[in-house]
Amino acid sequence: MHIDRSSSLRGVRVAALLLLTAGVAVGAEPREWLERMNKALTTRNYIGVFTHNHGGRVETLRIIDRVRGGDVSERLLSLDGPGREFIREGDEVTCYFPDKRTVLVERRAPDGPLLGALPALDESDSNVYQIKGGERERLLGRTTRLVALEPRDEYRYGYRLWIDEQTSMPLKTQLCGSSGEVIEQIVFSNIDLPERIPDSMFKPQLDASNYRWLRPDPQLVSNATPALWEAMRLPPGFRMSNRSAQTLPGSSEPATHIVYTDGVASVSVFVEPRKANSAPAEGPARVGSSSAFSTVVDGHQITAVGEVPPNTVQFIATQVKAMPRSAPAQQGLGLGPSVSSSKAEAAQQGLGLAPSAPRRK
Amino acid sequence: MNDERPSSHERDSQLSAMFDGELSAAECELIARRLTRDEALRAQWSRYSLIGAALRAERGVKLDDRVARKVMAQIAQEDTYGDSAVTATAPAAAQSAARAADRWMRFARPVFGAGIAATVAAASILFLRNQGETPAMVAANPAPATVILASETTGSTTVAQNSPPAARPTAPSTGEPDRYSTPAPSSQTSIAPPARLANYVVAHSEYSSPLSRRMALLGLVASDSAGDAPAPETAPSGTGTNDAH
Repeated sequence: MHIDRSSSLRGVRVAALLLLTAGVAVGAEPREWLERMNKALTTRNYIGVFTHNHGGRVETLRIIDRVRGGDVSERLLSLDGPGREFIREGDEVTCYFPDKRTVLVERRAPDGPLLGALPALDESDSNVYQIKGGERERLLGRTTRLVALEPRDEYRYGYRLWIDEQTSMPLKTQLCGSSGEVIEQIVFSNIDLPERIPDSMFKPQLDASNYRWLRPDPQLVSNATPALWEAMRLPPGFRMSNRSAQTLPGSSEPATHIVYTDGVASVSVFVEPRKANSAPAEGPARVGSSSAFSTVVDGHQITAVGEVPPNTVQFIATQVKAMPRSAPAQQGLGLGPSVSSSKAEAAQQGLGLAPSAPRRK
Repeated sequence: MNDERPSSHERDSQLSAMFDGELSAAECELIARRLTRDEALRAQWSRYSLIGAALRAERGVKLDDRVARKVMAQIAQEDTYGDSAVTATAPAAAQSAARAADRWMRFARPVFGAGIAATVAAASILFLRNQGETPAMVAANPAPATVILASETTGSTTVAQNSPPAARPTAPSTGEPDRYSTPAPSSQTSIAPPARLANYVVAHSEYSSPLSRRMALLGLVASDSAGDAPAPETAPSGTGTNDAH
């Protein structure tokens, strides 16, 4: 077969058609589109530029995501403004705030979950979300499937997703409040799906050597057996998905980190012994579209953080209590106390072996 | 090679022809089906796609040179294109891609094959028009009260007052069905929460679904939360804090 150069224009359309017929089961359920999207987001390399709308502001950012074996690297870079960056490589995450001349470094517990491995939608989640749509919609010259995740109560946000038919990547994402109003929006202007992405793309573009670096303390060893903290009650649909001990920058003791999820949204609860020389943090807070709520229980600072409405983090934070160690609440979650203590040890060992141990002041 | 499987030469020609629109819809469908079970064909397909990615090196997609060259060599047997091919094929939306392509083409043209121009616009790579829908994202409702967590050092809780309701935006030209409501702009939330909160968000993001993780991280990285960065003065003065060098 030979090539007729006169028909190259047609080739574009034909190629698109080919991809369409190759990768897409026509008439798939909206739930299948969500699964495809999650798979695409967690298994594909991609480099994208998107606009982000939140709080009346528009900003352009680049995202670079690479999955190589079990290794996930991620870089989020603001192209406007001060040029903040978030870089995750291996088990280390680094946040650069050039406007504050500050760098934040955190380490994942070595046995922490592979990114994207959780949470996942299961059947019971349809009790709290209604999954709608799946119809074709043209968006920015592409054929997409519009899938809506509508919350059935006010404890979670909804999502509207424009999922590209060919690649299953969400080209446009809206985070919606309970009455459908758009809280936050992401629209990609460009996504590449390269087969490989070199390491050099995960280096910060700025020289942060003179910045203030906030790191977890690698010297940190706690012999105390931490109490088992837990939320007595949870909003409908939420369940515990993880519990670990995590050392955070600026802490003298590991924080208990409990994660609750409804399959889509998740809320982290951090419990730390309150420092004697600092005033307690209490009340709601906000980071972007994420909500936080802090309270103090039994001399411990408790903060719940998540991409959920403010009421949800408040509900959860105020339900957190220390469980007597003899009778930990199981709630059929499969995360007993032995798991949590081994995780705590593992986390500390990992930190103790950290190659980039900072000098103490 | 059995009867069902085309020879590698035939396969390549078919792919090229497909990129060039030489194949009928029925034949394309045939290839599409074959793609799902023919690994070699898929590999070739991704090589085409990779070339597309290389062509897009402009936008920060800096492929390893050796890889790019290898790919070029692999399709060196393909026919070459006329000068106008790239710009003629790429949609207006892919102008920047075309520019990048031109740059590559200057030295790559002798070996670049027919598939390339088509790949620029199709393949696995998306080039989308950056539609002007963003201005529609104007606050339509009064922002909710935004309470900023006190810094650990000051210990006070500051409540940012609601802004007066913003004017109703003019109807978005994009035909978006939604009304847009946004939380208070960060100018009202000028007091930085403690570094602790940023720590929490980062730690939390490890356990979020891919979608919500991005949202969580955006809260840190996007400047609409400019006031939310861990201000050095609120950083805990105790352990774990150190200045580099």
